[in-house]
Amino acid sequence: MTPFEKQLQQALRRQEPSADFSARVLARCAADDASKRSVFWPAWGMGLATAALVLLTIGGGALYQQHQREVRGMAAKRQLLLAMHIAGSKLQQVQERVQESEQPSQ
Amino acid sequence: MEALLAATTSIAATRNAQATLPAFASVVETHKAMVYSIAWQFLRDRVAADELAQDVFLQLHKNWTRIESPAHLVYWLRKVATHRAIDAARKRKIQAETSLEETDEPTVLERVHDSFLSSYLQRMVASLPEKQRSVIILRYQEDMDLEEIAKILSMNVSTVKTQISRALELLRGKVSRRLGKGTAPHDSI
Amino acid sequence: MKRSILKLAILAIAAVPVWAADDFKLPASIEKLAEHATETVDVTLDQSTLALASAFLSKDDPDEAQVKKLIGKLKGIYVRSFEFDKEGQYSKSDVEALRNQLKSPNWSRIVGVKSLKGENSEIFILKDGDQIAGLVILDVEPKELTIVHIDGAINPEDLSRLGGHMGIPKLGKDRKEPKGDSNPQPKPDKDDEESERY
Repeated sequence: MTPFEKQLQQALRRQEPSADFSARVLARCAADDASKRSVFWPAWGMGLATAALVLLTIGGGALYQQHQREVRGMAAKRQLLLAMHIAGSKLQQVQERVQESEQPSQ
Repeated sequence: MEALLAATTSIAATRNAQATLPAFASVVETHKAMVYSIAWQFLRDRVAADELAQDVFLQLHKNWTRIESPAHLVYWLRKVATHRAIDAARKRKIQAETSLEETDEPTVLERVHDSFLSSYLQRMVASLPEKQRSVIILRYQEDMDLEEIAKILSMNVSTVKTQISRALELLRGKVSRRLGKGTAPHDSI
Repeated sequence: MKRSILKLAILAIAAVPVWAADDFKLPASIEKLAEHATETVDVTLDQSTLALASAFLSKDDPDEAQVKKLIGKLKGIYVRSFEFDKEGQYSKSDVEALRNQLKSPNWSRIVGVKSLKGENSEIFILKDGDQIAGLVILDVEPKELTIVHIDGAINPEDLSRLGGHMGIPKLGKDRKEPKGDSNPQPKPDKDDEESERY
């Protein structure tokens, strides 16, 4: 593999989803199963499942809000660092051009 | 009689293979990064990638009895994740420009110098045409060989090779222009 | 009646903030350049987003800590950078629309450099008494146009001190190769070898 391909591999390395990802997937699957079995469940069973689902949703909702803030915060940070990079680079570029223009021509 | 025997053998073989499958929760935990990353590289949106990855696992849950073996599981996940990501990306009409919806790497902070190039490469990969993007992600993120990629994307192996070659050429050119680096040597496939 | 109307008029005029004349906004014509650009960088960070970003900068990372310090008093950062595959993709009037905004008394051009290759770089600062209340970098090249607007108190020296960090080469070292007419990268071909079956 060439150095460029290694860089590409590095850039494309796998990333982890949020810490509660698995919990949310399993909650969704459980909810999906519950909705399929609802026809055969007794009324109290449905109430229990609904209560569990509500609790999961509330807890999951708060987690989700926090997750959203983290997502937006990291995105904003990334944008900021990009902007700083470009601004810093352009300033450097201007300084270089000024220096070049001040050099006496041979 | 023979047909019944063949059917019974087939069922037994499937059950044996499935018996080697780990529990579903363990599967999610083991493969979440793979599925999520495929989605992320296509969509460049953490929230959308998260939702897509969840959908993939929900679909797996519904089709759990059809999974024949751990190897089949990985193949299935990669295939479904890739195809769903391609569809989702088409609907979103992802453009190459940077926007606030483009999110960053996970919680691990990286050295800014290295992460800039990595981030730039990621954005350039996201801007590739659909097929080139797919082969690059499966080749360099998932480390799959050409035959495996061809199977997932329903392409010929030669087409996969061509797409990778074109994509690498495009990416090298963009990096050279943008970051002022010399042209990389010819890449191996 | 006439006096009260006159009073109202005077009050209305007085109510217009003086600083409104110093506002720097990116015109719609500039935003539209993205349609022709092969690459676009579009960063818009208002005060609340900057505060959010700052919360995620690490104090332990020296680069990020420096950025955190730099943006402490900023109201916004706006970057538009367009790369084109050929010359002539934007007009002089596009650039003049930007420069015209920087002609108000409180904006000063502190640097202006032109090269023979048609590259023109300018730095403007917005003065607020002895303080700098804004910075605009305008980099005009035949195939690239970059506008950086930093709204708020910033020290350009601190910004240029990022050199050597964040992938920015230090002045005098790792100088970028001069931009020449590089072969334009071919746009990706439409693949006609395989039918799409996704």
